[in-house]
Amino acid sequence: MVVLSAARWVRSRLTDRFWRVQEVLKYARHFRGRKNRCYKLAMRSVRRAFVRSTKARREKKRILRTLWITRIGAASLEHGLKYPAFIGNLLKSQVELNRKVLADLAIYEPKTFKSLAALATRRRQEGFLAALGDGKEPEGIFSRVVRH
Amino acid sequence: RYVRQLQRLQFLFSPTAADSRGARQFVEEAAQDFARQHPDVVLYVSPRSGMAPVVRAEYLNGTVREELIASKTSEEIVQLITKMANQSGLDIIRIRKPFHTDNPSIQGQWHPLTNKPSILTVQGPRLQPQ
Repeated sequence: MVVLSAARWVRSRLTDRFWRVQEVLKYARHFRGRKNRCYKLAMRSVRRAFVRSTKARREKKRILRTLWITRIGAASLEHGLKYPAFIGNLLKSQVELNRKVLADLAIYEPKTFKSLAALATRRRQEGFLAALGDGKEPEGIFSRVVRH
Repeated sequence: RYVRQLQRLQFLFSPTAADSRGARQFVEEAAQDFARQHPDVVLYVSPRSGMAPVVRAEYLNGTVREELIASKTSEEIVQLITKMANQSGLDIIRIRKPFHTDNPSIQGQWHPLTNKPSILTVQGPRLQPQ
């Protein structure tokens, strides 16, 4: 007997349930408590975790920048400068290194950072001389600005 | 010189199942052209009935990747295996950092005694109390 269409009284059963549940639970495995095992609780927790991770991408940039700033401030204090003075004088000497690179230099290349701090102190003193002096002394070497 | 990271491709499908139709058409028509275009990849075709049709790719670093080819047309299978042939065997996960160094520090990593006077670190002959 050739059967071309399925009998109408046969209804299909859901056979994929295990894998559909595992798709959600695999993201909840490292959670604490019943939400790493029970599907209903895991659904809610996984959804909240994803929402928080998307929102946190914007915060991560801010957090990392503040981390770099604290590290650069601590490193420049070791050389006798505070963070605003260090950054301001570096920018005035046209050294446009960003905070990420400065923090990495402070950790992995301490001698380079020491020379950068010395550059910033020298530029700071020249700035004080230019502002407080009477204009009779020649302009400082590190205050020269190169326009590209 | 470029070394292809894909070592071998194993096609495992059944000769009679309905979902292996695309795999069978691929093996009849496009497999030879693919083998000629990629001379450093070895193709193996073996029958496996009762299981879903699968193409298994083995890379030079040892990773084995299996992809289902059930109910795929011959062209789709060709696209899939060209993609696998251009990949390396590294895991397909999120890369945490786009850079890596084995020697991050050249001047010596900072430790709390780098910028302190060396009298604190140097151990010479015992100093006389003055």
